[in-house]
Amino acid sequence: MAALRSSSARLLSLGSLRSAFRLATAAPVRGFAQLADAAQQSQTSSDKPANLKTFQLYRWNPDTPTEKPRMQSYTIDLNKTGPMVLDALIRIKNELDPTVTFRRSCREGICGSCAMNINGTNTLACLCRIPTEDNADMKIYPLPHTYVVKDLVPDLTHFYKQYKSIKPYLQRDTPSPDGKEYRQSKADRRKLDGLYECILCACCSTSCPSYWWNSEEYLGPAILLQSYRWLADSRDERTAERRDALNNSMSLYRCHTILNCTRTCPKGLNPGLAIAKIKKEMSF
Amino acid sequence: MMASIARSALLRQAASASKLSLATSSAARQSIIANSVRASAFHTTSRRNLLPPLPQRVEGTVNDPAPVPEPSPSHGSYHWTFDRLVAASLIPMTITPFAAGSLNPTLDALLCATLLIHSHTGFQAIIVDYIPKYRTPRARKVFTWGLNAATVVVGLALYEFETSDVGLTEAIKRIWHA
Amino acid sequence: MIAQRVGTTALRRVAASPSNVFFTANLAKLGMTASSIQSTQTRLVATQKLTPTDAHDILAAQRLHRPVSPHLEIYDKQQTFFGGSIWQRITGSAFSGGLYVFGAAYLVAPLIGWHLESASLAAAFGGLPLAVKGGLKFLLAWPFTFHALNGVRHLTFDIGIGFKRKDIVKTGWYVWGASIVTGLYLAMFV
Repeated sequence: MAALRSSSARLLSLGSLRSAFRLATAAPVRGFAQLADAAQQSQTSSDKPANLKTFQLYRWNPDTPTEKPRMQSYTIDLNKTGPMVLDALIRIKNELDPTVTFRRSCREGICGSCAMNINGTNTLACLCRIPTEDNADMKIYPLPHTYVVKDLVPDLTHFYKQYKSIKPYLQRDTPSPDGKEYRQSKADRRKLDGLYECILCACCSTSCPSYWWNSEEYLGPAILLQSYRWLADSRDERTAERRDALNNSMSLYRCHTILNCTRTCPKGLNPGLAIAKIKKEMSF
Repeated sequence: MMASIARSALLRQAASASKLSLATSSAARQSIIANSVRASAFHTTSRRNLLPPLPQRVEGTVNDPAPVPEPSPSHGSYHWTFDRLVAASLIPMTITPFAAGSLNPTLDALLCATLLIHSHTGFQAIIVDYIPKYRTPRARKVFTWGLNAATVVVGLALYEFETSDVGLTEAIKRIWHA
Repeated sequence: MIAQRVGTTALRRVAASPSNVFFTANLAKLGMTASSIQSTQTRLVATQKLTPTDAHDILAAQRLHRPVSPHLEIYDKQQTFFGGSIWQRITGSAFSGGLYVFGAAYLVAPLIGWHLESASLAAAFGGLPLAVKGGLKFLLAWPFTFHALNGVRHLTFDIGIGFKRKDIVKTGWYVWGASIVTGLYLAMFV
């Protein structure tokens, strides 16, 4: 028994040694997905044929500010990559070029960090599938008409300042009747559906041409949707003041129902409808 | 400068490619290195030379809210409602001539006035959209008053046309059937 | 990652040697020390302390150099250039511009000696060849029908109808199709 154990252990050790050695030598090669993927394509291996896809990324480095932004291409094998664009970006950063910079956090469409312009439309990279039907290059830009911090990272400072300006919190003067929480009917609560889900990823605002030209003064679809979320809240008591804050030529009425916002929203919300409702409620 | 980003990646790829040399032929390797990272110069917004965006400046700290303008319904909600009413009233006024041939003088004059207001507010929206006040206050003033003057002139012209000629819808009809 | 793999290789080798009771008993401990040695980092970049105002100044200076990301040239052309909204503006300003130019010209015409009365205009238009007439008529009729139909679409938006994502795209294409058809009809048959 003991003899058997020792010999099998020795056999095992040989096997594990070899595999470990293979791993150790393969590791640096595997570190460069692109070369490895391309090499695999040239080899006639038993695996699936490599499904190569090229991603063109917008690059700009703040350390060399005089340089113009440029597009850089990375080719990876989709068979070894997750299905979403964010998976590809993470793989590019991990294995091809660690200097590629982008925001990401939850990878499930709830944080709004990875909002970017993918193949011409703003969306969340983590919710956007890599199209496999063709092998056209994917073009990835930061959110349109934003100041670029680095590569795919836009500066959203002004966006957040605008959000703060609409006072996105419950404003009440009267305490609740029973001294407990502020209650509302089911129907009133239902009015907030499609509004409270907004994650402020700024996809809609940066898809709006009006916001491109007038972001200094126009609030943009995301902030107006949030504004409507508080206008529609039955518990809020400052509806008149909130309306007054929007009642000028710039804040709200630069919306010309272009509706790129509704078409782009990665959460399937409808900022265009929310803005139309504000306008309608303020019209008479 | 630009190469410095690309260079490190290229070097590493070259290094790993030498390790790959057993697996791939040297020709294939060459092409892989050549195609591995393609970087191309990219034209940004500089082509839109008309009023390009200013360098980024942030007013106040990141925790200050953006300023909220004073309420002015005449530029806000009243203006919007008036605009929609004018636009909506144009629908029956443009359909009627198709049914009736042309309009009677009163309705024709009303159509002209409504069209003029519609044009005026349309141009106004274009000026407000594309000539921002905070950046080009003087150009904004010039265009706004230029538009006001032009509208007055065209108003006079339409009055002339309505009183001395056959009226707008009748004129269009005659030219169309000429 | 590679360092970890080397560590596991060593562990496996130790585990494989059967007689060594001491090593197998202390495997866990060994693994810990090995990995902690391997993952010690040395940073070549030194940090320096900054006051908040200095940090803000650096940020403000950096902001001035930031490029603006591409927008009109990269955004989905179907939404920007073929969207109903921008063509509403283009056709509308073409007509209004025409109205304004004609109005101004009509006022000064008697001074310069132009003839812009409807009768002379109709005569001038009637003298054109048929194909030119048809072409000109379509060039006037299509923007008119587009502006009218899309105007109705926008008015329905304003009362809060038609905001479903599919409907937006669909009605947009309907307006294009219908405006071209009615434009052709007006140019040919009216």
